Amino acid sequence: MADAALFLSDLALGVLLGCVFAVIAHGLNLIWGVAKVVNVAHGEFIMLGAYGAYFLNLWFGFNPLLSIPFDAAIGLGVGVLFYFGFLHRELRGKESMDLQSEMVTLVSTFGLSLVLINTAQKLWTPDNVGIPWSPGYVVFGPVQLPLGGLYVAIVSVSIIALSHVFLSKTYLGNAIRAHSQDIPAAQLVGINPTITASIGTAVGFGITMVGGALLTVWLPTGIFPAMGNLYAPISFVIVVLGGPGKMWGSLVGGLTLGVIINVGQLFLGNNLSLAEAAAFLILIPVLLLRPEGILR
Amino acid sequence: MLQLEGIDAGYAGTQVLWDVALEAKQGAMTVIVGPNGAGKSTVLKVINGLLRPTRGKVLFQGNDITRRPAHERTEAGISSCPEGRRLFPQLTVEANLRLGAYAKRARGSADETLEYVYRLFPRLRERAHLKTIRLSGGEQQMVGIGRALMAKPLLLILDEPSLGLAPKTVSEIFQKVRELREGGLTLLLVEQNAYQALRIADFGYVMQEGRIVNAGPPDRLLDLEDLRKAYFAIP
Ligand SMILES: Nc1ncnc2c1ncn2[C@@H]1O[C@H](COP(=O)(O)OP(=O)(O)OP(=O)(O)O)[C@@H](O)[C@H]1O
Ligand SMILES: [Mg+2]
Repeated sequence: MADAALFLSDLALGVLLGCVFAVIAHGLNLIWGVAKVVNVAHGEFIMLGAYGAYFLNLWFGFNPLLSIPFDAAIGLGVGVLFYFGFLHRELRGKESMDLQSEMVTLVSTFGLSLVLINTAQKLWTPDNVGIPWSPGYVVFGPVQLPLGGLYVAIVSVSIIALSHVFLSKTYLGNAIRAHSQDIPAAQLVGINPTITASIGTAVGFGITMVGGALLTVWLPTGIFPAMGNLYAPISFVIVVLGGPGKMWGSLVGGLTLGVIINVGQLFLGNNLSLAEAAAFLILIPVLLLRPEGILR
Repeated sequence: MLQLEGIDAGYAGTQVLWDVALEAKQGAMTVIVGPNGAGKSTVLKVINGLLRPTRGKVLFQGNDITRRPAHERTEAGISSCPEGRRLFPQLTVEANLRLGAYAKRARGSADETLEYVYRLFPRLRERAHLKTIRLSGGEQQMVGIGRALMAKPLLLILDEPSLGLAPKTVSEIFQKVRELREGGLTLLLVEQNAYQALRIADFGYVMQEGRIVNAGPPDRLLDLEDLRKAYFAIP
């Protein structure tokens, strides 16, 4: 009986955690789709988002939810810089990434990732920090849920829904989707590819950094410069599971991973890396059976 | 309305077009015919801005647009349905069409133009909320032409609208193209289906191996003995 309750609450926690994973993966998915680049430094932008929330808390006493607009604004700015610094030269005037450009962006984002980790270690030390914020618990039968996690899950789902509305109901959003599906066709209907690619990348970074801020609720002492190494792989698995370019795929993939990792740790003895390995294992059959992701 | 002067162009150092000159007159339908690989689509890319020529000029309404990027040309009134249509596969028919009106000159009247496109192709209204990958080839071609029309073009460019379609659908598409021409639209059409295309055209160009090798009114081109043999496949 106690075990069943434990399982249930791990399941529920997994769902809540999965919502945050979904946001982080959603950012990656957008960048991948619109900029055609696999951002190897993805995890480091999650880390920056988390530190953003940490310092806003340290200096101004903001809780992680309050830091969202600030992280989003920083993320948008960073995204624009990233686009013009790393991608514009490689993407300009091309229908798609060629092998050469793909290699260039892989190597340069890999370099960026190392630079960011090392700079963060210099500036903020390699030690773990965390945000003391615990708004209490809510109890559903045998399951006790942290309110912080619940709020963050609601915000996460709202962010994904909001970006869905932006991408499907506005001219600019539709142009970004058009760009990610066919660049020359997008140009032919009058879309300026530099605008869609840079704004799409910026929104992707904004969402990624906000995801980093939201994640801190689950990391009482888990903010540190190399934390990206734990969460970037999860994002990649989610994007592949949910299907690259599919917005709701991020949510479904995120929930799946949240549950697998949380319940996995129950059986694998609280070991995040081991649970992650399990997540990668389930990816293999999915890739074999449905290379386009679990959603139709 | 549109002139090409002495255009050389190519891909990654391989020259494909040699000294191409042509004109599309206001209110007329101009057709470019020629065998596979002649460079017809490449000419269209030079016109719509997807490819920069290495030499020569592109003039639209008297303005030199050779260096203008593709999206600005759409804004100026050149609208294309490219080879293979290139729809946005994951978007619905209606989303594809509405994106056609992305240019500022067309956005304000998108609702009316959409209604016009649906009257031209009633089948698209029924399919409005399907993703375009779910459509038949003929329906996809209609979306392609419709999307190009949504930009309220002054010059409409169609690259092989009949490609890969059943004969009955081909006639249907040609009928619509003729209607557009009768409505006063300026058209530039590329077709391998040379016979059918020349029959509804006002002026024709014949391309071969990257050069314009013949030009004239359609009846004269249709009469040329060697062209008949070469690829009109008519006795
Ligand atoms: N993107 C490209 N990269 C490299 N070469 C290309 C490219 N597109 C076309 N070519 C080459 O340019 C030449 C002309 O091609 P183009 O597509 O313009 O011919 P076309 O007359 O439209 O032929 P088709 O009737 O088959 O459509 C061909 O030799 C082709 O192989
Ligand atoms: Mg062609």
